[in-house]
Amino acid sequence: MSAVICFSFYFPPPMNVQVTFRDASRIFYYHVPIAWVTVVAYFTAIFYGIRYLKTRDWRDDQRAVTAAGLGTVFCVLATISGSIFAKVAWGSFWNWDPREVSIFVLLLIYGSYFSLRTAVRSDEAKGSLSAVYSILAVFAVPFFIFIMPRMDKSLHPAKMELSAGSTLPVFLVSLACFTVLFFWILRLSFRVSLLAGAREREF
Amino acid sequence: MAGNYVALAVTLVGWIGLFAYLVRVDKRVKELTNRES
Repeated sequence: MSAVICFSFYFPPPMNVQVTFRDASRIFYYHVPIAWVTVVAYFTAIFYGIRYLKTRDWRDDQRAVTAAGLGTVFCVLATISGSIFAKVAWGSFWNWDPREVSIFVLLLIYGSYFSLRTAVRSDEAKGSLSAVYSILAVFAVPFFIFIMPRMDKSLHPAKMELSAGSTLPVFLVSLACFTVLFFWILRLSFRVSLLAGAREREF
Repeated sequence: MAGNYVALAVTLVGWIGLFAYLVRVDKRVKELTNRES
């Protein structure tokens, strides 16, 4: 990751864009992998949600919640990093661009997941309902991420002209690093929640 | 250009800080898990 950070500043800016925000386009190495991890986190939550419905093992539900929580954090980071680029490139932090709206809707989907969980008292009902909700959202997430932003004109670059041969390797390594980082934090958070659960049962 | 060096330094410090924190938490969780079992 340290190497990715150094290379992202050492090599020429990744996009063939106006001189005024060429350097700002370096955020591409961080913003896109963070947005990717947001989607990976949601699909991880769905995977464990389905597994919970099959096994009824509370640990699968815990894994699903942890993945959704981390996904929310990465979703907020993707929104913030996108807004910073939007301010430099288009003069405003928020432009109601289709891509910005889609990430906002994804945040709302995550928010509803947690609202649903807090609204139910029984642990089993909480696990089942949130698992079913995440399965239903499996249709909404790809629509808002991959289809809706392409249905209308967008300021957001869809197919980028990469300016240097170094861009793709650095980007792919960055993507891999963020994915590994996500699964590391996910495993760690899950183990912390297990320990916290064991402590609660002691008292 | 100087702005790039500042951004590089801030990003590197942020990443190293996060990495060190995660390693510390990982180590502590391992200790606690061993103690529990």
